Amino acid sequence: MVGEEAIMDPAGLKAIGAGLAVGLTGLASGIAEKDIGAAAIGAMAENEGLFGKGLILTVIPETIVIFGLVVALLIS
Amino acid sequence: MLKPKSMTRAVIVGHKEVMDETVDTLHDINIFHIEEYNEEDSTFKIGKPFENAGEVSKKLVQLRSISSFLGIKPKEVPKQDTNVLWAELDEKLARLESELDEKTEKKNSYETRLKELDSLQKELEPFVSIPIDLKNYRGYESLSVFAGTVKGDISSEISGITNDYELEFDPNTHTIALFVRKDKEEIVAEMLADYEFREIRVPNMEGTPSEIIADIESERNTINEKITSLEKSISDIKERYSDFILASDEILSIESQKSEAPLKIATSEHTFVIDGWVPSDEYNRMTRTLESSTNGRVFVSKQEVTEEEEEEVPVEYNNAGIIKPFETIMNLYARPKYKEIDPTALIFISFPLFYGMILGDIGYALILLGLAFGVKKLFNSDAIKPLMNILIYCQVSTLIFGILYGEFLGFPLASLHGAHGIEPGLIAGFETINLFQSPIGGEMITYPIHRTHLVMTLIVLTALIGVAHINLGYILGFINEKKKHGFNAAMLEKGSWIVVEIGIVLAVLGYVGYLPIAVGAAIFVIGFIMLTKGEGIKGPIELPGLLSNSLSYTRLIAVGLSSIYIASTVNLIAFEMIWPQGGIAAVFAILVFIFGHALNTALSIIAPGLHALRLQYVEFFTKFYEGGGKKYSPFGYIRKYTEE
Repeated sequence: MVGEEAIMDPAGLKAIGAGLAVGLTGLASGIAEKDIGAAAIGAMAENEGLFGKGLILTVIPETIVIFGLVVALLIS
Repeated sequence: MLKPKSMTRAVIVGHKEVMDETVDTLHDINIFHIEEYNEEDSTFKIGKPFENAGEVSKKLVQLRSISSFLGIKPKEVPKQDTNVLWAELDEKLARLESELDEKTEKKNSYETRLKELDSLQKELEPFVSIPIDLKNYRGYESLSVFAGTVKGDISSEISGITNDYELEFDPNTHTIALFVRKDKEEIVAEMLADYEFREIRVPNMEGTPSEIIADIESERNTINEKITSLEKSISDIKERYSDFILASDEILSIESQKSEAPLKIATSEHTFVIDGWVPSDEYNRMTRTLESSTNGRVFVSKQEVTEEEEEEVPVEYNNAGIIKPFETIMNLYARPKYKEIDPTALIFISFPLFYGMILGDIGYALILLGLAFGVKKLFNSDAIKPLMNILIYCQVSTLIFGILYGEFLGFPLASLHGAHGIEPGLIAGFETINLFQSPIGGEMITYPIHRTHLVMTLIVLTALIGVAHINLGYILGFINEKKKHGFNAAMLEKGSWIVVEIGIVLAVLGYVGYLPIAVGAAIFVIGFIMLTKGEGIKGPIELPGLLSNSLSYTRLIAVGLSSIYIASTVNLIAFEMIWPQGGIAAVFAILVFIFGHALNTALSIIAPGLHALRLQYVEFFTKFYEGGGKKYSPFGYIRKYTEE
């Protein structure tokens, strides 16, 4: 009986995995974007024309969390 | 479409006598982009501004300072006649200034008085509960007066020193007014020092503090009333003169532009030369107008554009009106170069398409459509209009996808028979129709498309959309490169990517067993070599980017799903967790519903908008687009408030 209880529910593990996939990649994107974003804002303060380039550079790490989201969708 | 407007380099030469008319005419037709003249080692000198330049700019400065003081904002007004305006400009401007000066001077003096009263009141405040006339604090020969604050009650201490004293103490502010004989001054001072006595200057006035403060209050009220009435009359002035200020700002700006134009023009002792660009289809009109206005005394000629000069050609978009709003998106990135493909028309299709695919919800589409029309109507500004138009296009696309997906504010419209029984839809009797089995993941394609039940299929589909979009980018890059460096360079730099992709596809087909793997591998290697030749070491390094770029398009489904989940979570909390409790909870449920969806509506502009934009900028543009073209800004002015 004890042994049976110790086995975790596969659905629960899946949910944990999905959560980790989104959560960790979200953190990673955030860490990567924070410096780029700050620099981009600085550049924009000097020259507003850099908005487009700044936006692009800032959102490049966004792909990480999108991959995380896709992985989470595939798991669940 | 797809190409900027064709430009012709034109040089206008004439005698200085007709420079005035020439500049006037050019300004009026507003199509000629003047190339600023650079004086370096040449016999020609930069022209001198026309005589009236100084006076015009003086008036302009005067007018603008008044305008900014009054806070005049641009608005719709009936157009005024320039001749009438010029005739009365000087007199009206002088009158406006004197009226305003008088009012502001008065206002300033009142404000200074208010400040004086404030500081006086502050000085009096410590003494307010001590009912001694202020004149009684000074002018004694045998008495010493201590006025200030101490840290506690000193009456017992002082009576230990002397009986001849008079003490007023305010226990709230710890203020004392102490009168003792002069000979006791030193002992008392020492005692007070123990109590941390701090002297406060007594204002040199007559009357008790509370009386004076009451006087101050009443004076302040009168002054405030006067200031309010002055402010009202200043805003009256603003009301009366705002049309005049807007219109005369315009004619003065025009005049100042004209009078300073010679600074961009090359002149010799008797002649002038204006160099610049005009849209090719306007060239003849410009020539005709110039010749007729100067009686044929100027000579206009076309110039050949050399390859180096192509960098300098000013770029004007050439798009149909319906596509124009998307030029804003282009400008955010960079204006195309003259010889480059202008992708505005492609963005016009793909941006709303991607946006709609991500959001795809009838409810949000309708809310945002209403919002966009409202904002457009409310703020009649040239900066906001194109953005709202883009939002409207996006919402139309969202509406279409919403109907395709059958979603309304996160609720499915149709009921779905799934593994967990029947999930009811919002519209009773609207059943999901099974169409056919998807080749991926064994999912059933249905109408409406339930995105939450078709995740695998849609991930693959969106990645394929990505491949198509990226390849469109490579094809455009090929065309750009061919125009610039010829077919070979284009084939090596951009065509090689497509060869590599074909190689990968064939290799995959080989892996599945349709044909030998070697075919795919060989083509891949050929493509790889071409790529390395075309792009150098950068090519192979960027190769994995092909995968991450096309996978990046899976955001079309992923971001959309997250939006659905937020919406359905709001619905779940509101209608399945709170609503059934009945009574007051129903109100709370509605509040949660409204607040949650308001939040998701805001997210619905930002998330799909930014992601759709990013797919254009990062994945699409990097394949072909350079940008950095010079803006075409014709010499002239678009009149808003005046007419000739």
